[in-house]
Amino acid sequence: MQNAKDSFYIALRTRLAAINPERTILLRGTVRPGILVEEAEAPFSQLPSDVFVLRWLGLGVDLDLSSTMAAEECEVLYQTCGTQSFGGLDRGRALSAMDEELAQMLVPFYTPKLNYTATPPTAMLTHVFWDEPGFGPIDVQRDRLSRSAKVMVYSYQEQGE
Amino acid sequence: MAANWFSAPAPVARRVRGYFAPVNRALQTPVIFDAAEQGGFNLDAPPAPWISLGWIHEFTRKTASKTSPVLTGIPAATLAQVRETLEAQVSFQFMSWTKLTMALATGSQHMNLLVEATGDLPAADGAQAVTAVTPLSGSTATAIVLASTDAAKFTAGSMIALDVDYTGQTGYVGAPVAGAYVRQPLTDVDYVRRVTFNVALVSQVNSTGLTLAEPLTGGAPAAGAKVQAITGFVDREGGSFYQEWSALFVMQGSQGERIFFYYPRLQTMAGAEEAAIPLDPKNNGGHARMVLKGQYLALPITDPLDGERVLCYRSFLPAANSLV
Repeated sequence: MQNAKDSFYIALRTRLAAINPERTILLRGTVRPGILVEEAEAPFSQLPSDVFVLRWLGLGVDLDLSSTMAAEECEVLYQTCGTQSFGGLDRGRALSAMDEELAQMLVPFYTPKLNYTATPPTAMLTHVFWDEPGFGPIDVQRDRLSRSAKVMVYSYQEQGE
Repeated sequence: MAANWFSAPAPVARRVRGYFAPVNRALQTPVIFDAAEQGGFNLDAPPAPWISLGWIHEFTRKTASKTSPVLTGIPAATLAQVRETLEAQVSFQFMSWTKLTMALATGSQHMNLLVEATGDLPAADGAQAVTAVTPLSGSTATAIVLASTDAAKFTAGSMIALDVDYTGQTGYVGAPVAGAYVRQPLTDVDYVRRVTFNVALVSQVNSTGLTLAEPLTGGAPAAGAKVQAITGFVDREGGSFYQEWSALFVMQGSQGERIFFYYPRLQTMAGAEEAAIPLDPKNNGGHARMVLKGQYLALPITDPLDGERVLCYRSFLPAANSLV
């Protein structure tokens, strides 16, 4: 299942870099596309703004198939205070821009599954696929707007996984 | 060279995509879909002459073929079975309203509302139309070359219909898609342009002609074709004409596998009908999407492979590296 999670993240990261190359984050001394996996980073006292954070939640498996299917729920969290140049008055627009980027990142609703523990990553036999996102309401905390969207990500277990 | 494999469960698909191609009504020739040769096509760019009608909703296919037993002995037991009747139906909803989806979802001919001449008497499906203009040589499926005085009669954002004048012929009219069947000669010189499928949106107008936002179904204007502006479309409950198309439905599985349902001949079997789908399922009194409902009867062809009469072909292209 880790391969599916890795493949989903890398697919979104690659797509984000094409959709909005300017959305980046400086993380561990490296400038990267503005998307990260929460469980793969040091704990945050507060989630970073203007980037997408993937948080893995529930898990279900269907064993009654010729290949076991895993369904993993991914929550994508993002928040913004807008930009300093506009005194934060553009925070609604900034959040809308992130809504649109996320919707674009998720299309198409599949990506090849790769094994990222190998160098270079090796292609596996199946695809990871997911449903449309379910966007939650905006949460307002003073000048910070945040939202999360949940996506159910499916994959088939392959031999050796 | 060796390959790994996996055991693929039943395909998982999100939606069904629909493609249609005109049956040559005069020759009763459907359009062939060869899954072995064409099955890998880009879903956004189907092979000619298939036309994508986008995602469809509530796709249901139903067999109504009847089988009867051949009984023998006392007490009687089934010795064999015979196929008594051959029938299959397809129904679905179109998620958009266009010339083609409206036409496919109506039981009879589908007409264009030609821009009318000033002061003419009203008519339910279009009164006397403005005079058609003639494209000049060099016109293509997406660019209509006109004299500057003719080009000035159109505006960007308007719609056009392009086809030949009606000259009293009977039988199927409209090319390459038969838009109607004329049983007795009519007097309307614009009748073919009223029923033609050769319509498009004008994206740009300049002194040399029109640029179209989408290619004409029939390609570059044929000799004798003329252009008229249209305002919309109209169809009727009633009439004697049946739309007939070759249809292809594609389910794209999550692992890249594809299921094709190819109907060489589909005829509409119900009148025009719509369904209202609430945008917010919790608010049935709110906004609702009006979708076109289509219901079709599959007609048979004789498969040249073995002479069998068939209604539909279901093809399956498995995912790469999946066990078969």
